Formats: sequence, C-alpha cells, structure tokens
Amino acid sequence: MAVYRKLEGKSIQLLEKIRENLEQLNEKIEVMIEIQKHDKRGIPENLPEALDVMTLLSLPDHLRKTAISLCKLEKATANEVSEQTKRARAVESGYLNQLVIMGYMKKERQGRKAYFFVNKED
Amino acid sequence: MGKIIAVHSYKGGTGKTALSVNLAAIYARRGKKVCLMDLDFRAPSLHVLFKDYKAEYWLNDYLNGVCEIDKVLIDASRDHGNGGKLIVALANPSTEAIRDMTAKDRKWEMKALGRLLSLRSSILNDDDFDYLLFDTSPGLQYSSINAIVSADVALVVTSLDASDINGSQRMTSELYELFEKKTGILVNKVVADYLSSKEEQKKFNKYIKSIHTLPILATIPCYCEVLRAAGDSIFSEEKPDHPFTKNIDKLATTVEKF
Repeated sequence: MAVYRKLEGKSIQLLEKIRENLEQLNEKIEVMIEIQKHDKRGIPENLPEALDVMTLLSLPDHLRKTAISLCKLEKATANEVSEQTKRARAVESGYLNQLVIMGYMKKERQGRKAYFFVNKED
Repeated sequence: MGKIIAVHSYKGGTGKTALSVNLAAIYARRGKKVCLMDLDFRAPSLHVLFKDYKAEYWLNDYLNGVCEIDKVLIDASRDHGNGGKLIVALANPSTEAIRDMTAKDRKWEMKALGRLLSLRSSILNDDDFDYLLFDTSPGLQYSSINAIVSADVALVVTSLDASDINGSQRMTSELYELFEKKTGILVNKVVADYLSSKEEQKKFNKYIKSIHTLPILATIPCYCEVLRAAGDSIFSEEKPDHPFTKNIDKLATTVEKF
C-alpha cells in the first residue's frame, strides 16, 4: 500500500512537471504566433529608449492597451494584465512578450510565474 | 475608492485653474477629503492662490524622486476646508525650476508617469482621499498627457473661441480616444446671449453637440464678477450663492456620478 502511495505521489509530480513544461512551451508558441501575425507592424526601426507617453501613443492599439495596463500595475503576470484589459491571458502573454522583444519591457521568472515590468533602468 | 480627475484644455486661458479650484472647494464643502495638484509646470498658478502657505517641497521634487508625496502636501483646510479637507500640492514657480522641467528627456518623463500613476495607491488608498484633482498645462505636453493617463476622468475645458473649439475637438478625438479615457467636455465662458432664453439655449446645445461626440458635462456662462475677482481668491467660497458657484456645484454632482 505504501509503495503504491509513493508511486502515485511520484507520478503526480511527474505530471505536474509535464504540465509546467507544456505551459512554457505554449507561451513560447504564442509569442511566435503573435510576432508572425503582426509581422513587424508597429515595431520602429530604431528602438526608442523609453516607454513614455509619446511612445505609448505611437504604439498600435492592441499593444498600447497592454502597455498602459502594465504601467499601472508596475510589475505583473500576463494573467494580472488580462484581468485589467479583459482580454484572454494567452493574448496578453503574446502582446507582453512582443513588447519585451521591442525593448520596452523586461521579463523575469520567479518560480513558475513570469513577471513583466517596464524597463526603467539603463 | 476615490476618484482622480484631470482638468485639461487645448488652449490656455480657458479657466482650467478656476474650475479645478472651485470644484475642489465645493467637494471639500460637502465634507470630502480633496487633494488639488498644480501640474502646470510651465506656468504654475496655485502658489498665488495659496500664498499664505509655505511649500517646503514642490511637486517638481516628488517627480524628480527627491522626496515622497507626503512632504509636498500642504493642508489648506484651516482656511478652505469648510467642513471637509482641502490639501494642495504646488508646482515650483521659479524660472530656474520651469526651465529645468521643460528640459527633461523621455526617460525622465517615463519615470514621472510612474510616479503619477503611483499616486493612486498613496493618495487614494493609503491616505483615503475622496478626490484627487490635477490642474494641468494646456495643449499636448508630457506633464498633461501623463496626468490624463493617470486619471479616472478627464475634463476638457473649452471656450467658444474658434481655434479652441477646433483644437479641443481634434485633441479629444485623436489623442484621448487612444487612451480610452472617460472624458467630459466643459464649455466655459459662454456669452450670456447664447443662454438668454430656452430657445437660444436649445440652439446652442445643438451646436455644441454637432462638434463634440463626447458628453457635455456643463455649459458655464461668462460672469464679469468671476473675471473681476481676478483669481485672487476661491470664488465659490466668497460668493456661495452666485450663479457661477451654483453651476460648479451642479458640475460637482455630475462628475461624481460620471
């Protein structure tokens, strides 16, 4: 019985790990889809140095909404941003990652969660 | 949860400061806890009205990261509370400070936006204010757009000057819409003739609505007594029964429910 329980615990752990990896993979695919979908639309040739209001104005509508939400939240997960914008988490995750690629934001992993924040330094 | 209101206009001299100050005073008279901030760093004005209070730190210092917001807040309730609380935060009027504020780069403006956005938690949540009013600089400027982005409600004051009407219309449709901000129009300094009879008033309202698709929250006539007071005192406190005060009182209720 004890052996059975131990095995059960291990397989749960394994399943958890698989789910975690799948989530991360999913997120990466979302980013790729987003970038493909929007091509280079809205990505300026020379990356501006800061996400100030004038830059916010120049962003395409879908990214501006995400960027403003993150400015308000300071540091947040895609889920927290999606609660503000009332759009799907997967959509926000794509937009946030696109903003990271554009150099306006930074991303930091804390355990299983990915936090996004406005790049205020350098 | 309190509300942040940004008072803005396309052109200068529309009456932004007079409207913000009187709106703040009326909310205070209703027993509310109100904070009024002078965000017009190019042409500060609230320091004149609150000349009896000495500012140790200015809003410039807060945005520069020199101090926290509590050092900037001045309690003017002693003279202007009228049952509530009126706290002000002033902009530094020295030429040196104005020059400094006009020479800021984009990185600084981005940080300033962050500082303004965090007022929601410091002023509204921690200090429990009912209203935070931003009196802004006219036109499309960093400080004003930062204030609009940080606010819950934006009030655009417009006179009937043709260039002002045109500019306000363009500014609200091209800029405000991008930020999806809840915005109301205040038509100020309206010549009395336009409002002389019900018929004229109807015609005038139709005309204004043909220009702006946004809600018109108030149409305030031009009063010689307000001009004569010359912004030296808070008009609604001096003359609580004057029609101007009654107009602002009505506006306060409209904005409260907006």
